[in-house]
Amino acid sequence: MLPHLTRRWPVYAVLALLAYPWIWRAPYFHLLGFDTLLGATMAVSWNIMGGYTGYKSLGHSAFFGLGAYLVAIAANRWGWNPLWSAPLLALVVVAVALLLGWIMLRTTGSAFVIATIALLLIFRLLALNLRGITGGAPGLSQPLPPWSPEFSRLPFFYYMLIWTLVAVAVSAFIVRSRFGLGLLAIRDDEGKAEMVGVNTTLYKVLAFGLSAYFVGLGGGIWSYFQTHISPVFAFDLRIGVDMILMTMLGGLGTVWGPVLGAFILIPARDFILFRFGATQIHLAISGALMLAIILFLPRGILPTLQEWLERRRAPASAFVGARLMTELQDESAATASTPAGDPHSRVRPAPR
Amino acid sequence: MSLPPTSVLIQVAIGGLLTGGVYALLVSGLTLIFGVMRVINIAHGAFLVLSAYLAYWLFTLLGMDPIVSIAVLAPLFFVLGVLVQRYLIARVRQEPGLLVLVTFALAITLEGVMGSLWRTTGRSVRTAYTGEVVPLALGDLTVRLPIVQLVGFAAAVIALGVLYLLLTRSDLGRAIRATIQNPDAAQLVGVNVALVRALTFGAALASVAAGGAVFSLIWTFNASSHEAWISKMLSIVVLGGMGSLPGALVGALIIGVAEAVAAVTITTYLSPIVSYLILFFILVFRPQGLLGSRIREA
Amino acid sequence: MSAAGPPLLWTEGLTRSFGGITAVKDCSLEVRTGSITGLIGPNGSGKTTLFNLITGIYAADGGEVYLRDRRITGLTPSRICHLGLSRTFQITRLFWDLSVLENMIVPVRQVGLRALLGPGMYRHEQERALVLLERVGLTHLKEQPAGKLSFGQQKLLEFASVLMSEPDVVLLDEPTGGVNPTIIRFMMDLIRALNGEGVTFLVVEHNMTVVMELCDHIIVMNHGQKIAAGSPPVVQQDPVVLDAYLGV
Repeated sequence: MLPHLTRRWPVYAVLALLAYPWIWRAPYFHLLGFDTLLGATMAVSWNIMGGYTGYKSLGHSAFFGLGAYLVAIAANRWGWNPLWSAPLLALVVVAVALLLGWIMLRTTGSAFVIATIALLLIFRLLALNLRGITGGAPGLSQPLPPWSPEFSRLPFFYYMLIWTLVAVAVSAFIVRSRFGLGLLAIRDDEGKAEMVGVNTTLYKVLAFGLSAYFVGLGGGIWSYFQTHISPVFAFDLRIGVDMILMTMLGGLGTVWGPVLGAFILIPARDFILFRFGATQIHLAISGALMLAIILFLPRGILPTLQEWLERRRAPASAFVGARLMTELQDESAATASTPAGDPHSRVRPAPR
Repeated sequence: MSLPPTSVLIQVAIGGLLTGGVYALLVSGLTLIFGVMRVINIAHGAFLVLSAYLAYWLFTLLGMDPIVSIAVLAPLFFVLGVLVQRYLIARVRQEPGLLVLVTFALAITLEGVMGSLWRTTGRSVRTAYTGEVVPLALGDLTVRLPIVQLVGFAAAVIALGVLYLLLTRSDLGRAIRATIQNPDAAQLVGVNVALVRALTFGAALASVAAGGAVFSLIWTFNASSHEAWISKMLSIVVLGGMGSLPGALVGALIIGVAEAVAAVTITTYLSPIVSYLILFFILVFRPQGLLGSRIREA
Repeated sequence: MSAAGPPLLWTEGLTRSFGGITAVKDCSLEVRTGSITGLIGPNGSGKTTLFNLITGIYAADGGEVYLRDRRITGLTPSRICHLGLSRTFQITRLFWDLSVLENMIVPVRQVGLRALLGPGMYRHEQERALVLLERVGLTHLKEQPAGKLSFGQQKLLEFASVLMSEPDVVLLDEPTGGVNPTIIRFMMDLIRALNGEGVTFLVVEHNMTVVMELCDHIIVMNHGQKIAAGSPPVVQQDPVVLDAYLGV
């Protein structure tokens, strides 16, 4: 009974989430739920670049803000409803990310990190100054959602739930694909990956572009949710910090780690905000928490848990290499030992 | 975008040089840390702002002129730097990926703490001489130089001079330079590299403390200012070449002047973008900057 | 040892300096198809720098590198790998967090978007990897992370993995460094066997026994320059070579 439950846990989790707004009906809980799912989606997205590839973008909120503004502008100028324009305009965000990535990823990891901070600041500065397009410092408003205030946050919650699942699915797909294997190799030893034929620049740029999609989408939906956005909030460093923190807490480079991190962090932070009120404390706590994680739990919850479980089972147990999408079972029995002269063991295909 | 008269440009360019001198002081520690430890101290901006706040409070509560407060702040930050390096950075040395997050986390922790304590009010030190200018005659042109900028420039020159002497004349300086060149070789000839790292970080923070005091005289700031400033500081060191002190100086002067000129030719509000764009272009076309070594990974 | 054919990999006047030190100076050498060529020289003679230049890790200050009539100077390492050149490192480099099998799969060339989005490994790739792992005796460790292997096993894995990209020529940087005699013997047999199957080798080695026994052609470097080249007996007698080693 128990193994059956633990195997199918994502299904039960989703069912629980679907039921959540009906169990806790107060709008506050819907807001919390939306916030959490938004955070989870974006953390999963960031993880593609920061976790799988090892390039930790510190300024990812640049894409969040970009998505927010694109959606707000589209809503104002052409009446595009964000529910369908956000996923669409997120593709524009990806295009921007691909272009910027192509520029920023020619260099090493350290240079990249610096560049992401500069990127965020450039975007913020542009948003503040291109008043004709962005409305400048006061910001931009867009039409309210058409549904009645009674439902208010409910649609946002479910909408975000869908996208969280999509993001997780994409993330899982990537990590099991050849592309994902390449990313992990790059993270492990980029020079070696280059040496064995991995086109590291291409892989990194693609990962960067992909990692921008759900963040841009999140920004777009957030702008609809907020109705009013401004440069300072749309391009807030904190949003990027959150993505990193959630991912690190749950487990950098895992599929579900970022989600777990979000589900722990956002309700916890909400509670702290509720008790202490000020938002600067929240930044101090985020920073201190990040330091604590780096020093004491560097791999995050999930990998640490996994290691602990493995050590309990048997010291010589095999590494959980279930990343690869193989229906292929243990082949060693099938592949009998072949002498060096066997044609099948040739390094290169025999000449035609 | 019309070009202002030459007199204005000269005035602005000289102002830019003065600012650049101060910038050089602000970033000297940053490039030193990179040179010795290959660490990008993202918290450098936060420490700058912290020092500026302390200088502000020393002035407001005790009437101490920020330049004088350097005598208090520099030693304090030196000790702080040694502790931070020893207990935080050294612990994470082995993982370059985490190292960059450590300084980042430190930066936002500092921002959070400062913001909680001192809110978002913009602060600046207003002394008796703030706002006063000194006229300087250049041929038939009179350039007006704000005293705070002159004072700042002078302080920067002196502090950088001290740093220079430290690096070239003292044993510690020799050890630091050896470690920058080749940590393994340095270790082989008896340099206690771990100690050098800790002391370098201390010296770097001491210099940024001095910079912060000067900073408080010239600019307005609050807890979140460090974001924009760390980016500018990084632009300067990347331009000049990570790990190169002469490079930092050159980069600082270039960006100081470029920003000042941009402010009058394009728009003041957009002028910070100059440093960010320079950063981008350098990273693309010449990552080692003008005078530095490549930002090599291990 | 197979009879050597036309030049497969050669350099012309390759030069590279670091600061004031010229690590490789006007180096012109060639590796013939089907040969096992040794590259020897005292420490600091520029052998690894030469490897780095050939494989595209360092940019050359001057000179050219050719692979099968194609100029490969200045190409990226991954491009050079695709053109058929592989290399191992003096200090073993592997993807430590990835499993042994995954280490074998990464070097396999992927072409096109479809391949990229495809599963981590295809059946035929896995089979090929397993066969190679079998040859180096590492099959039972295929799920282990590379970081958990012993030193000798790691060297074998690195060697096996660079074969996965189906190279025409393999550059080995001290393949027997620090391993026990059994594995040395094993590696030598493996290199010979692979050479018989058509793989050309350029081997940097300090172990003279290995070099003299294994290689059909030897190039000697000192102070960044080629000072001698020829068959083992010839090189062994060459006074210039003896001077280089004894004089150091």
